[in-house]
Amino acid sequence: MTTTPLLEARKLCKSYFNGEVETPVLFDVNLQINSGEFVAIMGPSGSGKSTLMHILGFLDTPTTGAYFFKGKPTENLDDDALARIRALSVSFVFQSFNLLPRTTVFENVMLPLLYHPSIHEREREKLVKHAIELVGLSDRSSYLSNQLSGGQQQRVAIARSLVTEPEVIFADEPTGNLDSQSGVAVMATLQELHRLGHTIILVTHERTTAEFAQRIIHILDGRIDSDIRNNKQKSAAQVHSLK
Amino acid sequence: MKSADTFRIALRGILSNKTRSFLTMLGIVIGVGSVVLMTSLGASVRGLILGQVSSLGADTMVIFPSTVEGGGGVPRVGFDSLTFDDVTAISQLSTVRTVSPVVFIPGDATYGSQKSQPQVIGTTENFFINQSVTAKVGRLIDAQDDQGARAVALLGPDTAKDLFGDGNPVGQRIKVKNSSFLVVGVANPLGAQFFQNADQRIYVPLSVAKEITGQKYVNYMTLSAATDSDLALADLTAFLRQRHKIDNPGNDPKKDDFVVHTSKQAEDILGSVSLSLTLFLSLIAAISLVVGGIGIMNIMLVAVTERTREIGLRKAVGARGKDILQQFLIESTLLTLIGGFVGIASGVSFALIIALIAKKFLATYVFAVSFGAIALAIGVAASVGLIFGIYPARRAARLRPIEALRFE
Repeated sequence: MTTTPLLEARKLCKSYFNGEVETPVLFDVNLQINSGEFVAIMGPSGSGKSTLMHILGFLDTPTTGAYFFKGKPTENLDDDALARIRALSVSFVFQSFNLLPRTTVFENVMLPLLYHPSIHEREREKLVKHAIELVGLSDRSSYLSNQLSGGQQQRVAIARSLVTEPEVIFADEPTGNLDSQSGVAVMATLQELHRLGHTIILVTHERTTAEFAQRIIHILDGRIDSDIRNNKQKSAAQVHSLK
Repeated sequence: MKSADTFRIALRGILSNKTRSFLTMLGIVIGVGSVVLMTSLGASVRGLILGQVSSLGADTMVIFPSTVEGGGGVPRVGFDSLTFDDVTAISQLSTVRTVSPVVFIPGDATYGSQKSQPQVIGTTENFFINQSVTAKVGRLIDAQDDQGARAVALLGPDTAKDLFGDGNPVGQRIKVKNSSFLVVGVANPLGAQFFQNADQRIYVPLSVAKEITGQKYVNYMTLSAATDSDLALADLTAFLRQRHKIDNPGNDPKKDDFVVHTSKQAEDILGSVSLSLTLFLSLIAAISLVVGGIGIMNIMLVAVTERTREIGLRKAVGARGKDILQQFLIESTLLTLIGGFVGIASGVSFALIIALIAKKFLATYVFAVSFGAIALAIGVAASVGLIFGIYPARRAARLRPIEALRFE
C-alpha cells in the first residue's frame, strides 16, 4: 500500500528575474514529504533552501515544474485559493518572529483566526489559550509583544503558527535570532509539537539545529545534495536541561 | 474576515499613531467645518435679507420716482417725476387695490428736551393697509384727519421710546419742523424694511405734510395689488409710460422716469444674491476638502509602506487581497468620517457663536443650520476617504506576500 505524500515536488525550478537578467535559484528539485514527518532543509546561505520553503508553503510559486499538495496539483490556483490554503493548511515561524508590535501576545496568536474561514468567533479564545499554553507562555498572555525576550517572542510566533491546527508548520531559521539556550528551548517546543502529531519543516544553515529533526535534506546550489534519515536525532529537551 | 474585525484593525491603525491621524484629519475637519459654517451663515443672512422684504407683504409694491438722464432705473426719493395726479390715475386701475402717496417732512422731532431723528411720513390711511401698520396704543391716522388737515401724529414704537421713554405719548404734543402735532397713537413694531428701521417713523396726514413742505410731487407711493403682482407690475409700467409719454418697447429701465418694485421681485433678487454668495463660499470651502483628501491619500500611502511587513504577515497567515483592501479602505474612511463629525461640530459651534454676536447688532438675525449641508458634508467626507483611500489600499492588497515579508 502506498500513501499519498503530503507534499510532493516534481522537477521544481525557480528563477528570479531582474529585468532581462535571469537568476536561477532551484534546479529540478524532486521531493516527497509525508504527514507527521519532522524534516530539516539544510544548506548554506544562498543555496535556495528558503526559496524552496516559500514555494512549499504557498508564499511563492515555482517557475516550472509541478507541486502537489495532498495529491492535488497547485499550479492553477489563483491568489484567493492560495490565501485559503495558507489560512487552513500551512503556517510559518520566521527568523525575525514577525509579531505585530504594540499588540498583546493573545492578539498576536489570534491573528490567523481572523482570516480563518470556518472557525467561529466563540471558539477563538479557547484555541488561542490552548496554543499559548502549549508554548508555556500562559502567564504572559496579556503582555505586549515587545515586552518579551527573543526566545519568548519566537514561542509566541510558534503558538500563532499552531492555533489554526494546520497540516504543516514551516519554520524558517527559527533559532537564527536567538542565543543558543533560547534556540534549544524553541527546538524543544517544535519537537514537542512533532510528538503531538504535527508535520514540521525546518529550514536552517546550522547542523546542530538540523540534528533535532528526523530527516535532513541537504541543499547545495539549488539542488538536493543528500536526503538522509537522521539516526542521531537529539532531544532538545535533554540538551536544554544539560545547559 | 468579519467586518467587526476589520473595523477593529482599522481603528487600531488610526489610534496607533494619534498625532499623525489627528494632523491628517485636520484637513477634513477644516474642510467640512468651513462648508457647514458657510452654508449656515448663508442661510442666516438669507433669512435676514428676506425678512427685510417679507414684512412688507407679498402683494405690496412700491413706485419710486427716477430720472431719465444718466442714472435712470435708480430710485430717487427726492425726484419730482411722480405727481399726485399720477396717484389718482393709478388708483383707478383694476389691477390696483389701494395706493397711498408719501411726502417726507425732513427734520427732527422734539418733545420738551427729548429729541429723535425719525423719518416723518405724510400719507393716507391706505399706507397702513399696504404695509400692515396697526396701532398698539391709541388710533391710526384716518380720512377725517387728512380731509381736515389736522396736525395729528402716529409714532413708530422706537420714536415713541426716544421721546417719551416708557410713558404714554397719546394726548401729548410734539414738534416737527416748528409745527406742533398731537400724538394720537403708537404703532406696533414692523422691524426692518430694506435695512431701514420702519419703527423709527412718525406718520402725519398727507394734507398736513403737503402744506408744510409745499411739495407738488410724491417721494414714493405704496400699492397693494389686486391681482398677481407680476401682472400688476406689467400693467402699471405700461400705464405710467403712456401717461409720461415714454416710448420704451425694449423695456429698458434707464428710459423710465419711475421704478416699480414688488416684494416678490426684491425677494427673488436678494435671495439669489445670497444664494450665489453661499455657493461661492461653499465652493472655496469644498476645495479645502479636496486638499484634505490628498493629505489622506498621502498618509495612507506612507502607512502602507510602513506596514508592508505587517501586510506580508497578514497574507502569510491567510488574508486575501480583499481583506487587506477592506482594512485600508475602512481605515481611510474612518479617518475622514471622524474628521467630518469633528468638522460639523466645530462649524456649527462657530456659526452659533457668530449668531450670538450678530444678534446683539441685528435683532432679526436667526441662527440657522442647513441639515442638507450637514448630510452632504458627511457624505462628502466618507467619499473623500473612499476615493483617496482606494489607491493606497489597492497597492497594499496587491503586495506579494513574500516580497512584503522581506521588505526592510
